[in-house]
Amino acid sequence: MAEQSEHAALLAQSVGDYVQHGADLPRVRALAQTRTEFDRGQWNQLAEFGWLGVMVPESCGGLGLGLAEATIVAEGIGRALTPEPYTAVAILAASLLDGLPAAALRDELLAGLATGECLPLAAWQEQADDFCGTQLACRALPFEGGFLVSGEKQFVAGAAAADGFIVSAATAQGIAMLWVPRDAAGCGVKLRPLADGRSYGALMLKDVAVSRAQVLAEGDAARAALDRALDRAAVTAAAELVGVMKRAHEMSLDYMKTRVQFGKPIGSFQALQHRAVDLYIQQELADSVLRDVVRQIEAGADAAARGLAASRAKSRCGDAALAITRAAIQFHGAIGFTEDCDVGLYVKRALMLASWLGNGRAHRARYARLSAQVARKEAA
Amino acid sequence: MSTDWNALSDEAFRAETRTFFENEFPGHFKFLPRRMRWAECRDWYLKLSKKGWIAPNWPREHGGMGLSPTKLLIYFEETERAGVGRMPDQGITMVGPTLIRFGNDAQRGHFLPRILAGDAIWCQGYSEPNSGSDLASLRTEAVPDGGDYVINGSKIWTSMAHDATHIYVLARTDKAAKKKQEGISFFLVDMKTPGITLRTIRNIAGHEEFCQVFFDNVRTPKENLVGELHKGWTIAKGLLGFERLNIGSPRRPLQAMEKLEALAQARGLMADAAFAERLTQLKLDLADLGSLYGRYVDKARRGEAMGPDVSMLKVWSMDTYQKLSELLLEAAGEYAPMEGEVSFGDTAIDVLSPFYNSRPGTIYGGSNEIQRNILAKYVLNLPS
Repeated sequence: MAEQSEHAALLAQSVGDYVQHGADLPRVRALAQTRTEFDRGQWNQLAEFGWLGVMVPESCGGLGLGLAEATIVAEGIGRALTPEPYTAVAILAASLLDGLPAAALRDELLAGLATGECLPLAAWQEQADDFCGTQLACRALPFEGGFLVSGEKQFVAGAAAADGFIVSAATAQGIAMLWVPRDAAGCGVKLRPLADGRSYGALMLKDVAVSRAQVLAEGDAARAALDRALDRAAVTAAAELVGVMKRAHEMSLDYMKTRVQFGKPIGSFQALQHRAVDLYIQQELADSVLRDVVRQIEAGADAAARGLAASRAKSRCGDAALAITRAAIQFHGAIGFTEDCDVGLYVKRALMLASWLGNGRAHRARYARLSAQVARKEAA
Repeated sequence: MSTDWNALSDEAFRAETRTFFENEFPGHFKFLPRRMRWAECRDWYLKLSKKGWIAPNWPREHGGMGLSPTKLLIYFEETERAGVGRMPDQGITMVGPTLIRFGNDAQRGHFLPRILAGDAIWCQGYSEPNSGSDLASLRTEAVPDGGDYVINGSKIWTSMAHDATHIYVLARTDKAAKKKQEGISFFLVDMKTPGITLRTIRNIAGHEEFCQVFFDNVRTPKENLVGELHKGWTIAKGLLGFERLNIGSPRRPLQAMEKLEALAQARGLMADAAFAERLTQLKLDLADLGSLYGRYVDKARRGEAMGPDVSMLKVWSMDTYQKLSELLLEAAGEYAPMEGEVSFGDTAIDVLSPFYNSRPGTIYGGSNEIQRNILAKYVLNLPS
């Protein structure tokens, strides 16, 4: 990009090095097979790079940067298939905490997040497709100055290694963001294995006592911070998807150039060429949308414009990554269907990332809803 | 120098263009289902010219508006919203950018002001009856004679040639060249030159928009050779870059989307969830086309040549345009085959024209299949 910040240029360089040397597919495979999706050493390294604190304010030990820089890192994370929950922690949780009112606990969580010592996660979703977390069955009832929280949360990516959860719950003021340590009495975490070797956590909360100090925000401030963080996370997940699809398509193209059938490399056949081109167009469309959307959001889009932009990025990048990785199986022929072939790792990561935080269909529905809203407002 | 439109906020620029196009473009030509003839659009062209708005894509030092990608998109969105018709625009979209990049000072000094003033209306002499997708096999020939080149041959599918005062022509100047791409030169020719005749060709929609142009010992002065002799293919490729950028603009798909949304509204189709999902998908395809287009407009503004990758813009834009026109017909139900404007309550919509108008876009300027070949070979580096 022409107007890349100095930070962005430095990050791009370190991400480039990371993609070359930092992550290796054998490690990804091993983690998936042993169902340990989290490597403490790797996480500390991401913290040392400054990547975990990319969105954490400088006053809390982070870099205090924006979405432009976060998406550069995320694209590298996607390309390297890093299994650690980068977007869930460093973008979603960090951006959510950053958007909440300053308080001792908030600052402590942010500082711990940046050093890698504390791994907080947002737990806001209860129903499939409700990626904005508007249907709140989880309730917080007043109790000794704080609350008693009961309910269930779903689809918490990265829960295997989490130290605690920023839980959304319905209160008299609408919504509250509450800090629930993983080992709190009444808090149970059930892990559901996913195709890419990672897992979603389901949170079972039964009369979990939350002190006043653990109430991070209540009311409109809580809702606004959550919406902002979810849009940022959707865009960052889209960036991971761009990394996944680019590497997968490179693998397909390399294979098409070397695999010989009928005495010629299969990449010389026009039917395959045109298919590869159409997928490349999807890739570049996804890349252009991502950059455009990051620019729009960084330029200070209002909530509706930000939501439209985020849904545009997530739906295009998710669907493009699914199409490209699926086609990679076909381009590789039977070998593409084997466990040994790395293509499968990209297919599975695309499956996970495309559905988490809302899939293409759900984001298109939201896009339609928001556009109609904007049109009504303009007409009035 | 002229106003720096980019200094305005997007909202202010939108408001200004909206007011101007809505109030100034003649009502009886709004949403014309075909391209405008010169006699119909001359006044409008001159009005835009006088306002300094005729060449939104040209740099300001050459008399254009020098718009940023975002502003250029707004300009197009507002022209489509107001139903501004398509004029003979080859001079603005193709010849201007080419002379700015490949021409000499004398050619720029002579032709650019005339294009801006509407004194020179251009058409494109590329395809020949036996050279379509394989354009480099062209056989129209130019032979030096004194201070002139003498051109013989024929060009076909020349849009709006019957309104043009000038034509730019690719002609073979070296038949002995080893490769067919070598030995082709790029000429500017006055349509009034003796020896030029043309016949109009009626298209599938019944309109006479393209022609065949015949060259019988047509003389053009040596000053009208653009770039180096025998190096016309390079210019043509550069120009094709601009052409793909122009064809790739969301302008025409936007026009179809305006109609589709109006029709959906008038027929209450948004209550049909399956239709709503398809419309939203196309809305996103169109919005995302805007992002891709912006990338290339940025590149053009930095003065960079268009690489072979710009082909994907053309593919995506024209595929999207066709998909929109097809959903429009589907949305029309039994009204789909009706010619002319159809009344839906108090809205009148021509549902059929976009279907016709979106057909040639995947054929001209290098068919979408040729674009895919180019992308496979030069961008993905796939073997042949």
